[in-house]
Amino acid sequence: MKASYDLDTLINNFKKKDKIALAKLITILENEPEKAHEIFKYFEDISHDSYIIGITGSPGVGKSTLTGAICKKILENGKSVGIICVDPTSPFSGGAFLGDRVRMTNISLHPNVFLRSLASRGYKGGISRAVFDIGLLYEAYGMDIIIIETVGVGQAEFDIYNLAYSVIVVLVPGYGDAIQMQKAGIIEIGDMYNINKKDLGGEDIAVQVEMMLDDTVFHSGWRPPVSMTDAITGEGIEELIQNIWDHKEHLELSEAIIQKKKNRFSFKIKELIYSKIERIISERLINENEIEEIINHALADGKFKIYRIIHNKFEDMNFELKKKSK
Amino acid sequence: MSKKKIRVLMSKPGIDGHWRGGIVVSRAIRDAGMELIFGGFQNVKEIVEAAIQEDVDVIGLSIHSGAHFAYTQQVIDLLKERGVLEDIMILVGGVVPAKDFPKLKEMGVANVYGPGSMTSEIVDFIKTHIRK
Repeated sequence: MKASYDLDTLINNFKKKDKIALAKLITILENEPEKAHEIFKYFEDISHDSYIIGITGSPGVGKSTLTGAICKKILENGKSVGIICVDPTSPFSGGAFLGDRVRMTNISLHPNVFLRSLASRGYKGGISRAVFDIGLLYEAYGMDIIIIETVGVGQAEFDIYNLAYSVIVVLVPGYGDAIQMQKAGIIEIGDMYNINKKDLGGEDIAVQVEMMLDDTVFHSGWRPPVSMTDAITGEGIEELIQNIWDHKEHLELSEAIIQKKKNRFSFKIKELIYSKIERIISERLINENEIEEIINHALADGKFKIYRIIHNKFEDMNFELKKKSK
Repeated sequence: MSKKKIRVLMSKPGIDGHWRGGIVVSRAIRDAGMELIFGGFQNVKEIVEAAIQEDVDVIGLSIHSGAHFAYTQQVIDLLKERGVLEDIMILVGGVVPAKDFPKLKEMGVANVYGPGSMTSEIVDFIKTHIRK
């Protein structure tokens, strides 16, 4: 039923700003990441840079509604926006319920916006493996701004830090006390903090965040600002957006943007290397069946033997490694 | 986990507050290992734009207002105008009388699910007709 599209046609249409072609290229990158090198070689003459905003926070804090509200303001300034929204894939069925677009229906018909919902597909860092590639594709398309909205995160999913230049950590009234603010992880990575649902209160959370920031040394010279919004009415959005532009200016003036761009590519390169190594391991070194054997062996013989079995197993393996360079 | 996933847009065209059916079917589609984009209340233009940008294989229209002919025809016309009609399978569900099924199918709807339909029928139908 599905019409087939050859890559040349898709690329030609993409270069004419055809959204159907953009959507189909995203699908290819998501399903067949190994085709990325074929696709991106068509764009080698493009030098456009988009500015990348990351939005993260726990489930239900209003990330999607906030993304929509931010996007609406940016569109009003005549800029184009590419949005990537990630929601989790079920570890049981492999399926996903992607419920981000439904919060942004009011911007969905704007000619300068493109919105794609992604399922995390087993990737653990709060995004999906395809996010980097789709960001790159949005840059080739010529988007001024890219907004990446993570899955609803817990405390330790912060890959967005490596992919976005300005990260907004979204909190809500009732988030937690001074102890929560001292924890490592998600609460550390904000370039700015935003307390959403301000109609429910949240001034105390803003104070807690400020106190946490008081205890932090900012070597970069940027102290993250704290804002409060009601994403549904749009209250406070202007201030939040101003914080984004201030941070952008700070990165550009201090040249820290160069490091941010480096991080983004280093993140992807490492991920490609690690996933390749993972594949080599599972194909050539040890597969699921062998792992199952070890487990059965250990359970039958006594759980305390687990390390001995693993130790022996590794002794048997032949790693052929590159010589250490001197 | 297979790399290619069936993607389905679930939408409620027009002003019709009956969410439950669309939610139940969406959940069944999720649990069957597919990726379900929940569109919620959308007008015809929003449905077609979402289907294009999300590159879905299936559009599910959940209609309880009695306006199934009008909305379905408008969605089909706009998909055709945008040149993507052949890429996308359309399913209609909700309060649709059985006597209207043949006409909907003639219009180009792949299948219709009225009250009492099993979610497993819907999931099986999609999996049989969309191969990934």
